[in-house]
Amino acid sequence: MGQGKLTWRRFVRVMDKYGVMVLRWVLAAVGVLLATAPYLYMILQSLAPWREVNRRLLPTSLTTRSYEWLLQGSATAVARPWLRGFGNSILVTSLSTLCMLLVALLSGYALARLRFRGREGIYKFILFQMFYPAIILLVPQFLIVRFLGLYNTYAGMIIPRAVNIWAIFMYVSFFKSIEPAMLEAARIDGASEMQVLFRIVLPLSRSITAVIGLFLFMERWVELMWDLIVVQEYPMMTLNVMIATMSGPYASYPGPLYAASVILTVPIIIIFLIFSRHFTQGFKFILK
Amino acid sequence: MLRRIKGEALTGWLFVIPYLAYTIVFFVLPFVWGLLLIFSEWNLISPVREFVGLGNLIEALQSRRVHAAAVTPFKIMAIFLPAVLIMSLGIAVLINSFKKRQGLLAVAFFLPYLASGVSMSLVVKGVVSYTSPVNKVISNIIGYVPDWLGTPSLAILVIALMIAWRFSGYYALIFLSGLQSIPSELYEAAQIDGAGRIKSFFKITLPQLYPALYSVMILAVGLMFGVFTEPYMLTGGGPNLATHTWYLEIYYQAFSTLRAGYASSIALYNAVAVFIVVGIVRRIMQAWGRAHGWED
Repeated sequence: MGQGKLTWRRFVRVMDKYGVMVLRWVLAAVGVLLATAPYLYMILQSLAPWREVNRRLLPTSLTTRSYEWLLQGSATAVARPWLRGFGNSILVTSLSTLCMLLVALLSGYALARLRFRGREGIYKFILFQMFYPAIILLVPQFLIVRFLGLYNTYAGMIIPRAVNIWAIFMYVSFFKSIEPAMLEAARIDGASEMQVLFRIVLPLSRSITAVIGLFLFMERWVELMWDLIVVQEYPMMTLNVMIATMSGPYASYPGPLYAASVILTVPIIIIFLIFSRHFTQGFKFILK
Repeated sequence: MLRRIKGEALTGWLFVIPYLAYTIVFFVLPFVWGLLLIFSEWNLISPVREFVGLGNLIEALQSRRVHAAAVTPFKIMAIFLPAVLIMSLGIAVLINSFKKRQGLLAVAFFLPYLASGVSMSLVVKGVVSYTSPVNKVISNIIGYVPDWLGTPSLAILVIALMIAWRFSGYYALIFLSGLQSIPSELYEAAQIDGAGRIKSFFKITLPQLYPALYSVMILAVGLMFGVFTEPYMLTGGGPNLATHTWYLEIYYQAFSTLRAGYASSIALYNAVAVFIVVGIVRRIMQAWGRAHGWED
């Protein structure tokens, strides 16, 4: 053996040992680059001088002009309430997500762990709701929102999205897997069901709550059609809707739109990375 | 004891009240109203609601716009399905081949799922614009700049790949958990029989992934009937309705031409189309699963 000549057999053996490893790392690097490329593009273009936006991949210099313009407007184009749009997005998404989680927690616990007449019926109805095509409900839901006077309000964006059937379903199946003895012990100690739920069950379901919450938040954050329908005026729009309606009149200013997109994207990525600790574990349960 | 059971039932009902209230207002009521709307002609404003019987349903069947919207899912699917299956399976196999840092890679590949369709459409609009750096490279090779969003087949390609990019990491996680439940003895046995990597992928991995493949196929096919954001932002359904979708048509009829009843009829057809196509996919997948030793 030793330092022999590079024969074909030797080459194959070395490739088998290291080649696969190198290939794996190269593929992973290329894959991650492709997965993040549009984000990188967005960030670079938002910082590029205007004459280079969409013309060069890597700008020759960096400037914050797009961000400043977004907030101040110019002599010819009025600044839109972008910051307020961002605030609207935060408000609507977090309230909506909190409601969805809370309702799912309460009803999921009741349906999985409490005995009461009608429980089976409600659970079957939930399954029906989960598979009923939501699109048929779109127009009448809008009519109801308008009838209730919620058109062009925050409540119109939050309340119709305050309950999520999938989240209830997930909690029911998770709570069914919790050891009953633990809950029984707490009840014997005189804890109310509310205390059992928040002191014992909730800490046990940290991972799954993180993942369900993450999915609900993500989906609500980028919701387009409903928010587009329910809200008419700029000060009420979520950032996502504002960008969507702006790409018409602002189309000649792609730089600021990229800046707005960065502002829209950064929070969701930060939240995702914060909760990603729970991600792999909780996600496996969701897939079952 | 009896008191406790009574208390439990009361708590149970109290806990489901928020859900019930929501369901009555935002599910049961719209459910009934939606069915009534299908048979009426109403512009969302006027006090007059005309009963038109099956008029809306018949009109929708004859509409060129609805025909286009009904065909588009299959056109997108033709590119989207192979693309997303190859990408997500590839990602899953790749992540699974790492001994360490699997979680980190999973998180990285999941990032596209967080993207807002609106901002991604802006990026794509920029990338395919006439003066873009990508088009510069392409025009150097083929001699001209393709009109990405103005050519029907290219517009479909762009939209299909955008959706595939977004969902590849998500589906990869489904495949990954499928891969990790395959017993390693199967591979050892195959190795003894002299099967190479590629052969054992097709003979063992793929059939063993049946449950994951089943869910991904149903999710992916169902997705095609709800496409909205990308064509709304990029093509408006054009050119010449080539990228027109169900949701675009429903949105347009309900909130631009203000024909609530007609829009609801189209929504009904959309639901029927999903039901039929997903049903067929389910059958095909089950047959494939049975052929590889899986029970339903």
